[in-house]
Amino acid sequence: MTGLVRAEWTKLFTTRVWIGLLLGSCVMVIGFAILLTAFAGNPESGIPAVGTPLYEELAMANAVNVNVLFLILGIIGMTQEYRHRTATPTFLTTPHRGRVVIAKLVAYALAATLFALVVMAVNFTAVAVHAGARGDAPELSADNLGTLGSSGLALVIYAVIGVGLGALLRNQVGAIVGGLVYLFVIEPIIRQIPATSGAYKWMPGGALEALTATFQGPDVLDAWQGGLLLLGYGLVAAVLGTFLAVRRDVA
Amino acid sequence: MSTAHAPTSGPVRVEVSGLSKSFGAVAAVSDLGFTVEPASVTGFLGPNGAGKTTTLRMLLGLVRPDAGSATFDGVPYAALPQPVRTVGAVLETAFHPARSGRDHLRVYCRGAGLPVSRADEVLAQVGLADAGRRRAGGYSLGMRQRLALATALLGDPAVLVLDEPANGLDPEGIQWLRGFLRHLAHDQGRTVLVSSHLLSEVEQTVDRVVIVGGGRLVREASMADLRSGADGAGTVLVRSPEAVRLAEVLRTGGAQVDLDGDALTVSGRTTAEIGSRAFAAGVELHELRSHTSGLEEIYFQLTAGREQYAATVPTEEAAR
Repeated sequence: MTGLVRAEWTKLFTTRVWIGLLLGSCVMVIGFAILLTAFAGNPESGIPAVGTPLYEELAMANAVNVNVLFLILGIIGMTQEYRHRTATPTFLTTPHRGRVVIAKLVAYALAATLFALVVMAVNFTAVAVHAGARGDAPELSADNLGTLGSSGLALVIYAVIGVGLGALLRNQVGAIVGGLVYLFVIEPIIRQIPATSGAYKWMPGGALEALTATFQGPDVLDAWQGGLLLLGYGLVAAVLGTFLAVRRDVA
Repeated sequence: MSTAHAPTSGPVRVEVSGLSKSFGAVAAVSDLGFTVEPASVTGFLGPNGAGKTTTLRMLLGLVRPDAGSATFDGVPYAALPQPVRTVGAVLETAFHPARSGRDHLRVYCRGAGLPVSRADEVLAQVGLADAGRRRAGGYSLGMRQRLALATALLGDPAVLVLDEPANGLDPEGIQWLRGFLRHLAHDQGRTVLVSSHLLSEVEQTVDRVVIVGGGRLVREASMADLRSGADGAGTVLVRSPEAVRLAEVLRTGGAQVDLDGDALTVSGRTTAEIGSRAFAAGVELHELRSHTSGLEEIYFQLTAGREQYAATVPTEEAAR
């Protein structure tokens, strides 16, 4: 299994996709940090002022806004096998296809952990510099570290979900478009409509809010429950994908 | 590692039996059975759509058969303890375009638990050492074929399965491939199965043929048998100053003879049988040879009407 995980790492780091996604994540997180800090304390924005605990919680959790790029990282990791037809040599090397999916889950969780650490560091630096310029830079207190950490954990879990979704759908464009539509269209609607908002806390978005809860939004689970539920979605998708899609004929 | 050595896993025999697969209502492969022997090159022949690729993919566990089995010394591909050390396959010439050929090979070294140094060894073996560090997306079709072959060779396998490996190779590349496959089989004792839709392409390379049409076995024979006309399809060409008398002698013996001047075309008899008849009758011979150029004809006879996609010949009217 170690060999298979290393094979997946070699696949990831021998093309440039990871550079694009990591740079994109850093740029996005800097952008969000600047926006958040610039409007902090502005009464019309509703964002609390720099230096307040609520602002710092929001700023530390900012990294979670790039979750979509980590989702795409996982999706590409799985679906590139079908897109570039390397599924054939991959499954010839490892006929037990479930092992390939497991290796990808592990490899992308590890890679995403590294990337998440980078994104967290970039986020903290951007917030510290900008908020510092506005008079009150947040410190690396236990609370702030905890929020930062849970946002990083959310990113790692989103990469795992990406692998699972990719295994289920196999089609790269379909999986990415489907993922985006779900995150930015379907879930927000479910969250808004009173009739379905009760179910929202059991959905990936609700679980993510629970894990990195900042705004006093709808009723959500505890943070650890949210994290487990989110991870569960990724793993269930991977298991379903293995049995329903990945084991299908590679013609 | 030089190429002059036997595979580490010893000779392996491939057995296919009762293999069937349908895609919807289309029966791609029906009750197909044949064997592939070590130390020889076996041609897997048939027109486009005959079920060759589906059969090879079932052999390698990529497509699940509806019925039947395909085994390597009795073991199905998915149950082989280290599949790439037993079987190497060239099925696909698609690679991740942004990954170099060398990195592509290193991925599968890691996946199969082989030392990554194997990547450079097989690149040299297929003559791609200089292009190894370039992105595979920039490779020509011929280079892709070589990279696919290099991937198959990574595990030093006893069996090689190649699906249309000559596609995209230039004449020089085809000649190289022929020599390479013969070397792997005859000098190193490997089992080589190579598919093609053109008999002429593999005629000089293969020792045995398995011909399929419409997903069914049409013929399984050695090239020698196919050539000698032992199956009744080949002919023998004879020239003699006493052609008329020889024709009578042979016809009396039950052979079918076409007479044209001093030349006879005989079917249903081998050269040895005709020679000994002529000798016994005291007939002088100037030429006696089996008509080998009839091989392609034999192939067409055997596979006639079995093409999945037979094109209609445009009539003059339609062309106007």
